[in-house]
Amino acid sequence: MSAHRVRAITRRLLQGFRRDRRTLALLFVAPIVILSLLGYLIRGSSTAPEVGLANEDSGPIGGLVADSLHQSSHIKTTDISAADGDAKLKDGSIVAYIVLPADFTQQVGQGNIAPEVHLEGSQPGEDAPVLQALQQSMISIAGRGNIHFAPKVDYLYGGPEYDTLDYFGAAFVGLIVFFLVFVITIVSFLNERSQGTLERLMASPLRRGEIVLGYMLGFTVIALVQAVEVLVFALAVLRIQNHGNVFLIFGMEALMVIAAVNLGIFLSMFARSEFQAVQFIPLVIVPQFLLSGILFPVSSEPQALQYVSNVLPLTYAVNGMRDIMVKGADLTWPSLQLDLAVVAAFGILLIAAGTATLRRRLG
Amino acid sequence: MSESFAVEIDGVSKSFGAFKALNGVSVRVRQGEIYGLLGPNGAGKTTLIRLVCGLLEAHAGAVTVLGQRMPNVGVLRHIGYMTQQAALYPAISVEENVRFFAAINGAEEGVKEALELVQLWERRGSVVATLSGGMRQRCSLACALVHRPELLLLDEPTVGIDPQLRVQFWEYFRRLAAGGTTLIVSSHVMDEADRCQRLGLIQYGRLLAEGTPAEIRAQGGSQNLEAAFLALAGRTES
Repeated sequence: MSAHRVRAITRRLLQGFRRDRRTLALLFVAPIVILSLLGYLIRGSSTAPEVGLANEDSGPIGGLVADSLHQSSHIKTTDISAADGDAKLKDGSIVAYIVLPADFTQQVGQGNIAPEVHLEGSQPGEDAPVLQALQQSMISIAGRGNIHFAPKVDYLYGGPEYDTLDYFGAAFVGLIVFFLVFVITIVSFLNERSQGTLERLMASPLRRGEIVLGYMLGFTVIALVQAVEVLVFALAVLRIQNHGNVFLIFGMEALMVIAAVNLGIFLSMFARSEFQAVQFIPLVIVPQFLLSGILFPVSSEPQALQYVSNVLPLTYAVNGMRDIMVKGADLTWPSLQLDLAVVAAFGILLIAAGTATLRRRLG
Repeated sequence: MSESFAVEIDGVSKSFGAFKALNGVSVRVRQGEIYGLLGPNGAGKTTLIRLVCGLLEAHAGAVTVLGQRMPNVGVLRHIGYMTQQAALYPAISVEENVRFFAAINGAEEGVKEALELVQLWERRGSVVATLSGGMRQRCSLACALVHRPELLLLDEPTVGIDPQLRVQFWEYFRRLAAGGTTLIVSSHVMDEADRCQRLGLIQYGRLLAEGTPAEIRAQGGSQNLEAAFLALAGRTES
């Protein structure tokens, strides 16, 4: 073991970094950006979920509980009628609604209260603040003897038989495919550049659009086989619940694959080496992973981040996958139509961007 | 005397930022001749070849190939281009590489003939990554000529290959030219220059001299091509 030779290797390594400013920037800037994002996401003044409140109590106590709920910091309540509740859950304007029944005051007298809680249920983490707020509102009636609190909870989608994997699974089935296809495309397109074959293709009668389309089809074939594998494993082995049409899931995945392939081609123009290509992962994938609603519902993010989330294609993809698998959405659902349209439009935009920039940096 | 030119390069200039890669170069290549583009590394040979196949666009002057002003996608079908590095797909076989380049030119019937010409038909099933440098170079040549182009652009095709293979390559080139193909071959190896019908000497982006090897010798005042080249290069520098 020669300290001199070891030092030579260490020095050579650091000398390389001196010239690769981009890698340096990534090493020192990316962690701060990612941690800030995570910190803001979790601790930032997050938006309280919208909850409907129907106070049908004929007695006085319902009003007390309702006041307490209105003042809760965990949720943002609006008064609705119980009859409108399900429709509002479906259109996404509220994540839950609470009904204080007509005999609520009597229930308190009997020491056994059962408010109804209707949860939308497709997003993990949205239920907790609602139940928490309701629990706290019970303090307003705490002085009235020993009361047993047993809310009647039901779910529009999902439900108690759903676990965390069911929620994450729906999103991850799409994310895994998107992520892997992106990485494979960006690296192999970069190879096409560095091994000189792209220059040959450019000097052939091939048109740029043909190259991009050919790539897209090739990777789509591979990725769709992968998508089938992922889907079969998720549904048959992990037993992730699915209420939707398997072909719709597949269709959404195909659109995500097209977007991922073209994102890879487009971003390969901005990388000089495979090393730099891999650096796009923290830049492109991590923020989308945090902000697309996979981990935290977009509606609970701080307002500023919601604007960002709403322009990320993965947000729509994740939402679409959950719509299909958790809610059993079909093509007649406007929300699924929007999700599919946005992911498709993003794919088309990237095809155009990839084609337009293909000629750049040939040598 | 009316002559038919496969390539006409007329007063072409090309810069990359502040660097002037080509400065007012004019070259005419006759149909069916082997034209040697000679000059040291960085002289502008590759830039000139890229202009001919439309990969780059000239800032000034005009490039006409097979009667069409470049860049022109329609002409590309009739051009074969062998890049400096053996640009191949390493993960697939020799035949799959050649078949791919044949397919994008719409000429799949030429695969066997191309592989036989470069004597790789027996090795057609070998994966390119496992081949020696010389075999890769031959495979690269097969990819460039599989669609029987009228004009073959060869950018330093003999760099890094042994003398025996070099002789073989020139034998292929002669056969192609005899069949009517026009070849532009760039090189910085002077002993290859004698095998060309005409030469263009390039240095610092300028055409120093042009003519048959005998004419170049006469212009440089030496029986040795290398000495003649150095004499011509020295004359323009002073």
